[in-house]
Amino acid sequence: MKKRDDVLVGIVMALALAIAIVGSLWLARGGLTKGYALYAKFPWSAGLKQGQPVLLGGVNVGYVDEVELRQDGTVLTTFRVGKTHKVPRGTVATVIPNGIFGDMAIALTPVGPNSQSIPANDTIPVGASPPGIAQITSKADSIATSVNAITSSFQQELVADGGVADMRKTLATSNQLMANMNRLVSQFAVIAAEQNRQLTATQASFRQATSGIDSAKIDSTLQNMRSASANLAVLSADFRQTSARLDSLVMKMNQGDGTVGMALNDPGAYNDLRGVLQRMDSLLADVKRDPRRYINLKIF
Amino acid sequence: MTRQVAALFARVGARAYFMRDIGRALKDPKTYGSETIRQMRNIGVDSLPLAMIVAAFIGAVTAFQTRYQLFGGVQLSVVGLISRQSIILELGPLLTGLVLTGRVGARITAELGTMRVTEQIDALETLAYDPVAYLIVPRLLAALVMVPVLTIFANAVGVGTAFMTAVMATDVSAAAFSEGLRLAFTPFQIVYSIIKATIFGGAIAFFCSYEGFTTTAGAEGVGRSTAQAVVVTSVAILVLNALTALLLAPYLQA
Repeated sequence: MKKRDDVLVGIVMALALAIAIVGSLWLARGGLTKGYALYAKFPWSAGLKQGQPVLLGGVNVGYVDEVELRQDGTVLTTFRVGKTHKVPRGTVATVIPNGIFGDMAIALTPVGPNSQSIPANDTIPVGASPPGIAQITSKADSIATSVNAITSSFQQELVADGGVADMRKTLATSNQLMANMNRLVSQFAVIAAEQNRQLTATQASFRQATSGIDSAKIDSTLQNMRSASANLAVLSADFRQTSARLDSLVMKMNQGDGTVGMALNDPGAYNDLRGVLQRMDSLLADVKRDPRRYINLKIF
Repeated sequence: MTRQVAALFARVGARAYFMRDIGRALKDPKTYGSETIRQMRNIGVDSLPLAMIVAAFIGAVTAFQTRYQLFGGVQLSVVGLISRQSIILELGPLLTGLVLTGRVGARITAELGTMRVTEQIDALETLAYDPVAYLIVPRLLAALVMVPVLTIFANAVGVGTAFMTAVMATDVSAAAFSEGLRLAFTPFQIVYSIIKATIFGGAIAFFCSYEGFTTTAGAEGVGRSTAQAVVVTSVAILVLNALTALLLAPYLQA
């Protein structure tokens, strides 16, 4: 009986010890084997801690084993990847938020398919990390500050400085203006209706007038007009010819050619003519004075 | 008032003397060595089914409640994280301690109380046996060792049933639950759970043994002592749980 107690107690204690060790290892490492080590240098603000997951293409393949703070502003992170997983060459390591509680994870992002893999104990280049919860919260804080400032300005402008009262007045004025505009619009509508009615009547009259036009008469008129136009063209040509002849004649007269030209251009002829006229005047005066001298009328 | 305060200090002093006697008795392993294994069987192995059943239901309820308390948008791996933290850090050791108070603590008090009122303890003294070394120390050692063992089993079963409940009865996938289980885990969380269980085991054995060892007034006194032992131990476990959390919780962060 006593020996059986010893065995039972021993079995239970051994089982408990095994459960505690295996369970801890499984929870901490994701398996019983340690996996192979890879390294990456992240900035101090990365927020990495031992035990955080390592994701390859979104799949949990390992865990953060050690985080060593360095004086050059980086943390040398040792993480272990399960032996069954190969990290392709060209993979970039980034620190990403894991959930909404501020936990972080290392994301290994392959650039593309690559048959060659990164060997154990190699260092993976670090990529740009997406904004974390802290950065988003910081942005949200600054936005909240801006919103607060805007709200304060609104409060000052609208409440303290009587902006709301002004707005109410403006609204009342606007309402009145709108009423006036409505009245104006209704007047315009009446005018437009009247104009429309008159336009309709004009259109009807025009339609009536156009319907009364005899197309045959129009054709005849157009024919006559075409004939008159042809006659006018002939007349115009004759007139142009006559004008040319007159031009030539005038030119000759100006040049003193011919009798008329000489009469017009020769001062001697003019003087002769004047002398003749003077003599005729004296003759006429003499005739008036003594008609008998010139007119000897005898009857019988 | 002064009498009550004096009585309180007297009770504390009596327990301090009892602790001193236990310390002295530890120097005599020949007396308690063989009995300790038997008590480990009684306290530990025989309590294993009860501790595991309690842990199984607690784990299942924890996972189920956690899933349906999450608001939209929270990733489902949180169910694994909260279930693990709740079971390993609090519910596993605490409920195992409280259940063992009822099963083991009451039994210790009743056994020792009966031995006291039937003068078996006096007979041991007459035979030059140290009753503390023979009766109390084996129970104390057995509780100190076996309650953590039972707690480890309870944690494992609780997390296991939480996993099964989350995967089978809710929309949480096995991968999401496993991811949450591993999230921000540190081995100290297991150590913390074991530390708590050890303290609770010590409290169960100490307070229940004292009540049984100091039982008076016959069968009625045995009943009264047993009831009082369960109450005092339960309250002591809750108080010690709070103190442990205050002292050690800051070291739990991953």
